[in-house]
Amino acid sequence: MKLTHNKIREKSNQKLNKAELHVGKELHVCMGLNSCQGNGYSGTNECAGMGDCSTISHPCHTLNECKGQGGCGLFGTTEEFCHPSENECRYQGSCGAPILNSRFIVQGPNKGRSVWQLARARFEEKRKASNQKFGAPPAGEFGPSNEYISELYGEKTVEDHSSCGQSGSRSCSYIQNKDARQAEANANVETMEENSQQEMSKTLSTCPKRVY
Amino acid sequence: MKTHKLFAVADQVTPANFEEVMQQAIALELATIPTYLSTYYSINRAQDQDALYDKIYKQLNNTSIDQEVPNERLAEELKTDILVYANKAAALIMSVVVEEMLHLSLACNVKQAISSSPDLISIGKTLKFPAELVGHEPEFVINIGKLDLDQLSTFLQIESPDPFTDPADSPETANDVVKYKTIGRLYNMIIECVQEHYPGPYAPKPQLLPNEPGKPPRPFYSQNSVNTVYYDEKHKPVFGSADDSGDLVGVYDAASAIKAMNEIKHQGEGNDSDDHNKLEFDSNNMPIPLPVVNGKVQFKPGDYDDPAKEELSHYAKFLEVYSLGVHYKEKFGAIAGMDDFFSYFVADQLPNQKQATYDLGTGPNQEEIAWMSKLGNALYTYIILMVETCYYKDEHTQFQVFMYGIHKSMIWLLSDVGNAMRSYTFTANDGSSYTPSLTFEFYDFSEASGSPKEQLIEIAKSLANSNPSKNPDIDSVAAWSWLYNDEAYLPSLPDVGLDHSVQPNVPSIPA
Repeated sequence: MKLTHNKIREKSNQKLNKAELHVGKELHVCMGLNSCQGNGYSGTNECAGMGDCSTISHPCHTLNECKGQGGCGLFGTTEEFCHPSENECRYQGSCGAPILNSRFIVQGPNKGRSVWQLARARFEEKRKASNQKFGAPPAGEFGPSNEYISELYGEKTVEDHSSCGQSGSRSCSYIQNKDARQAEANANVETMEENSQQEMSKTLSTCPKRVY
Repeated sequence: MKTHKLFAVADQVTPANFEEVMQQAIALELATIPTYLSTYYSINRAQDQDALYDKIYKQLNNTSIDQEVPNERLAEELKTDILVYANKAAALIMSVVVEEMLHLSLACNVKQAISSSPDLISIGKTLKFPAELVGHEPEFVINIGKLDLDQLSTFLQIESPDPFTDPADSPETANDVVKYKTIGRLYNMIIECVQEHYPGPYAPKPQLLPNEPGKPPRPFYSQNSVNTVYYDEKHKPVFGSADDSGDLVGVYDAASAIKAMNEIKHQGEGNDSDDHNKLEFDSNNMPIPLPVVNGKVQFKPGDYDDPAKEELSHYAKFLEVYSLGVHYKEKFGAIAGMDDFFSYFVADQLPNQKQATYDLGTGPNQEEIAWMSKLGNALYTYIILMVETCYYKDEHTQFQVFMYGIHKSMIWLLSDVGNAMRSYTFTANDGSSYTPSLTFEFYDFSEASGSPKEQLIEIAKSLANSNPSKNPDIDSVAAWSWLYNDEAYLPSLPDVGLDHSVQPNVPSIPA
């Protein structure tokens, strides 16, 4: 019997197998969050912050292999959600990777806002603090879409790459006409993305300092 | 089926029975969790919307009665009704489950601080369904079972902020004044006892504590997860719980003990305002629903658990699910060709199923279902053991037990088994077929050799080997071997002993 979580886990492992080609590279959770040249999913990026996708993949909360691999947003605490991909240790990540542009924070003062944008803001904070350069993320300023990741993985048909898939797609609509459904789904995500961008300073200011 | 007396609600709380009453309060909080979870797992909250549309559209076309609106539009509307309601009902039930786990911890903190460590294993051994609260006036039966109006009626009785009239009373006696009791009144008696006899400060003992600024994280409680989120008809996310609706409370003196218990009361029954909806029954002994206006249930200020009206109380959340359920059941019932509203998204599960039934059943998946049920019971018992163990351990060990044990067990392991059972059909020994479900029975780890964790892994292996097939879609090995082969799941659980010993046992980083 194919189980929902089993399917997600299998898909995640398939992606992980692809990522194993990147032995020796930095392991990070998404597009635009890499620290070095050549450390994106495809290994073709010229600079930090320009990687095309994550070099690791896992389904969700407590299933990450290492430090810094929690994708964040869907299971965890307010404090964890304030620091995507800054988990201290194995199995302490609060959500899956990669982080789609549609994923929003579900708990705390920043709930409803983009996880990827906060992860990218944290990344930029750290780079600036240490006077290190970084480039623009290849799929735009709001994070990778499901279609972008599907194309990157070379899928013949677009598969679902959202994680923790227990309560329905976070990028969807109930309209029956397929074109109108996609348009409303895209509009919902775009609204969330734009609101998250406008509220980023508020998002950063409400987060407590991480203590280990 | 024989009902099981959960405990006797005390008439008064004194230092002489304080320890026993706190154990009773903990038992009450614990009993709600399998009750609500069993209903949660009966719901398919994210089904294929196109397949659902096709089913409804065919049903509408198969009738000769013309509808007022075109069938395409009506099918889309009905599909959305089902998807939104199923997801909303599940999210609201899960948001209550999460807060019941908080209440369990708060009640345990109070008992730990003032009298003795909580004895959850003893409660787990005696908690059997159908259960009833002896001393609660009126007594009522608590089933574990699928989502329907009867089950929601039970939920409303559990969480009712007011004494309610016995629905089984005849019309002639229904208005008689009877001294009913509520859970909130039990806590009021405990609070009075604490105020009078236990001012504190109390000796420090391990408790489950909230995060504190500047200190390492204590990831023991979070109000919302993706499972407490649902989407409205425009697919905008709605969050089941407010951020400030409550948190763990460290109990150090009478003031903090009372704060913890008031939090339980307010989350369950609402704030102290008298302006709230009350539980009343109709002539069919069913709760009277609130009116639904433009798809929305109308509430009063006292139905919220906070003065800012950001989150409904448990009682009001269930009243919303119930009222909308009545509304949609009537709507679907009035349209020719439609099935019962709940049948579109709720598994056909019988209440209060037992492991013994699955052990004795027949059918191609009988053995696999019996092992699933056993694994579910073992995981449920292991979670109880892990929570109890936290009250014997320092913060570092609590962190390990929660992060690597309770979180994984609740979110991935128990949840996967509970949700997976909806996909199976079980043939009972009387020949009837239905959907199996978790039975939430105590699993006695002391009856076999090996640690509880070792036993969990052995059960998972038996499950995986119960129904091997060359067809990968029905092969039990493919379906379940990841439980013990993938290090992120069973292998990384802490090894918690019945003596509350803990071996963290997080596997090393792969080379």
